[in-house]
Amino acid sequence: MATSRAPFAHSSEAELARLFDFYRIPWQYEPRSFPIVWNEQGRPVEFFTPDFYLPEYDLYIEVTVAKPVRNTRKNRKLRLMRSHHPSVNVKLFTRRDVERVFSRLRRAS
Amino acid sequence: MIGDPLFDAESIAGRVAAIGEAISRDYAGETPLMIGLLAAAATFMADLARAVTIPCQLDFIAVNKCYDGDGITLEKDAAIPVEGRHVILVDDTVDTGLTLQYVVKRLLERGPASLAVCTLLDRPHRRIADVEIKYRAFEVPDVFVVGYGLDYLGRYRELPALYAHGSWPA
Repeated sequence: MATSRAPFAHSSEAELARLFDFYRIPWQYEPRSFPIVWNEQGRPVEFFTPDFYLPEYDLYIEVTVAKPVRNTRKNRKLRLMRSHHPSVNVKLFTRRDVERVFSRLRRAS
Repeated sequence: MIGDPLFDAESIAGRVAAIGEAISRDYAGETPLMIGLLAAAATFMADLARAVTIPCQLDFIAVNKCYDGDGITLEKDAAIPVEGRHVILVDDTVDTGLTLQYVVKRLLERGPASLAVCTLLDRPHRRIADVEIKYRAFEVPDVFVVGYGLDYLGRYRELPALYAHGSWPA
């Protein structure tokens, strides 16, 4: 199992890692980049790197801390990702999603 | 902080009756063991048990979800042995599915004859663990729900209907 000490880009990623640790779910941080845009020569020029991979569920999770109105760039990447890699499961978690998951844990504690 | 019910008492009673009927049909000739997740599922489980028309046994378990500790654990275990039994795990809300999956795994380790999941609320927005739900009363959007056993910081469990709370606990 990975630990919560990976060099996370922001606190919501660290929180989500703590959640996975809490449930003892193996996770990997940014283990793979997927090409999403190619140039005319067929070489990949843009990639999408989901934040987490959960091997147990074969699921990638991308965490966004931007407000929904500013998510245009990330949504475009996700759209391209799903279009070019339809068999890869990717789920988007917003900062609000992370907060709400933890609010349920605190509520029960 | 709460307004009109998302689901009033009559709607809840209708769904509970329908699930009770389905369980009675699916487990005809058996005596299923219904295990409720404390504390929020207690109200749902009590009504569901009375809606089932076949013999069944009831038990409860609880998980420790204080995430500052050593991770999720069973805080209270079932008293009735699970091995060889047809188990129906009764939950209040399936969100990420992670808690439910933890409990399902713990129960499956004990060799039940079968295990089915029944939930009052299914909130699939943040689902991570894709646990099969055999019986669900309601699917809800991404709102915090109180009443009918579900609380907000210990309040509202006694309400007979389900309400959307205006905020999530901070």
